[in-house]
Amino acid sequence: MRFVIAGNSAAGVAAVETLRRLGGRQNHITVVTDEPGETYSRCMLPDLLAGKKTEYSIRLRPPDFYRKLGVELLGGVAAVALQPGEKKLLLQDGRELAYDRLLVATGARPVLPEVPGAEARGVFTLRTLTDARLIASLAPRVSRAVIAGGGLVGLKTAYALKTAGLDGVTVVVTSPRLLIRQLDEEAAALVERELRSAGINFIYNARIKAFVTGSGGDLAGVELEDGRELPAGLAVVAKGVRPNDTLVGEAGGETGKGIVVDRYLRTTLENVYAAGDCIQVTDRVTAQKVSSALWTLAFEQGRYAAANMLGLARPYPAPLTRLNSARFGTVDVISVGRLEGPEVMARYDPLRFTYRRLVFDGERLAGFILAGKVDGAGVYTALVKSGRPAWTYRRQLLEGRAGSVALSNFLTFH
Amino acid sequence: MQKEVLINFDRCLGCRSCQLACAVAHSTAGNLFGAILNGEKPRTRIFVHQVGGQKAPLNCRHCEDAPCIDACIAGAMHRQEDGTVTNVGGEQQCTACWMCVMVCPYGVIRSDAAGTMALKCDRECRDEAGVPACVRACPTGALVYAGVDEYSGRRRVDVLARALQQVSGNF
Repeated sequence: MRFVIAGNSAAGVAAVETLRRLGGRQNHITVVTDEPGETYSRCMLPDLLAGKKTEYSIRLRPPDFYRKLGVELLGGVAAVALQPGEKKLLLQDGRELAYDRLLVATGARPVLPEVPGAEARGVFTLRTLTDARLIASLAPRVSRAVIAGGGLVGLKTAYALKTAGLDGVTVVVTSPRLLIRQLDEEAAALVERELRSAGINFIYNARIKAFVTGSGGDLAGVELEDGRELPAGLAVVAKGVRPNDTLVGEAGGETGKGIVVDRYLRTTLENVYAAGDCIQVTDRVTAQKVSSALWTLAFEQGRYAAANMLGLARPYPAPLTRLNSARFGTVDVISVGRLEGPEVMARYDPLRFTYRRLVFDGERLAGFILAGKVDGAGVYTALVKSGRPAWTYRRQLLEGRAGSVALSNFLTFH
Repeated sequence: MQKEVLINFDRCLGCRSCQLACAVAHSTAGNLFGAILNGEKPRTRIFVHQVGGQKAPLNCRHCEDAPCIDACIAGAMHRQEDGTVTNVGGEQQCTACWMCVMVCPYGVIRSDAAGTMALKCDRECRDEAGVPACVRACPTGALVYAGVDEYSGRRRVDVLARALQQVSGNF
């Protein structure tokens, strides 16, 4: 059988490994990607900016990974069209790839604001290694940067640029506080305090009106809607991502908040599967249809899709789509499931410098936040995921003594 | 058959010998006095919990579809030939993002003292006979290093199930 995989990040790599592990060596596998080099960890691009990692150390797999697995890699060439009837994938350079089963793992792209000057030299998004290289080459030549967006990517980027030695780093946030989709006020305040003490500035309730260019066409500053002007030689826009679903959409496949797939990760096109940031999934807790857009989910979907492509019929269980872990200085934060619900309890534990928030819906733990120290977080995640009655454990969970819950997870999953 | 650290819950007295042995075996010095003289604070990767009157150790199960491997953004968490799931000795280095901590249902991955990497059972503690330190140290046979068969697996967890039921009433 001929397998073609479009995309070479988490979902693509997981699929390749699974196709070989479960399907042996006899199948022909081709991976095609518009990115030039080897597969790398997208989540670690901020570490590259900060100078904490090198391109070598953010590689996801060894250089001989594809050769060892006997997989053909076509790098630096985009897949531009899909002909599901002929079972062909058309590439940018005119080549046609015939497949028996295709996996679309094309990921997502950053949203750019529709404001004047967004095309200026010095305005970036941080999604690819190429983006990171461009930012890293400009950063030493500027003293001030503006980050648009108070989400995880925005804050990680701000922290990285500050670590890299930029004098002034200002984060412009549309919301009244940072990480509004991940954290409550208390946890966000802990993160903000840490970032402020690192020397990062925040402007809330503000939107960017224009990117202002100087004489040579380089970025000179950012103008806010309230009239303020922030001088900056570098700006990074981190306002979320959109799924790359056009390949399937234009071929007549169904799309919504991403490519629509069934529980076997099949698109509505015959013999075409999809996995990773490009697909729509149904959240396990809220039952809402959302973009997948998480590294962890991309990896597991890659595995499931590959098994299904081999005909093993492994239904993919509805995932938790709010599943975030990040660290800022000494503050670690993990946020899973719902932020709000019928019953909320929260407590700051001064002995362990840790804030814990639990959201219950009836007997069930529907979500939680840990900020400070996060050891044992997975025990909470498993409760949210399984939906088992957890109300009895509320005191232990709130106090961070989750031992008996860990043991009951053992009985449930082992 | 791949070997696992099996837990006979009915035999655990909660003496924590396994915790100490695990921590020491993973210290740079390799012995308790040396570690303390070096100023090391050895950290265990096996945890003794209490459920009602029952004590029970828990460590990494080296899961088949290990969620920590899926979650690892660095590509550091991997499975070795013998089935051991570990974030050391592989292609990439652990970057302390705690994604694995977030998804491990048993809570047996934790940060090191400095917060620079995740620590978990890596079976690097095995002696010349191939026996892990926690198993070697267990005085009651609550921990056994052996191949798994399903029947004995069921018997091992019954005690724990009963203890949990008494405590929580919802099992």
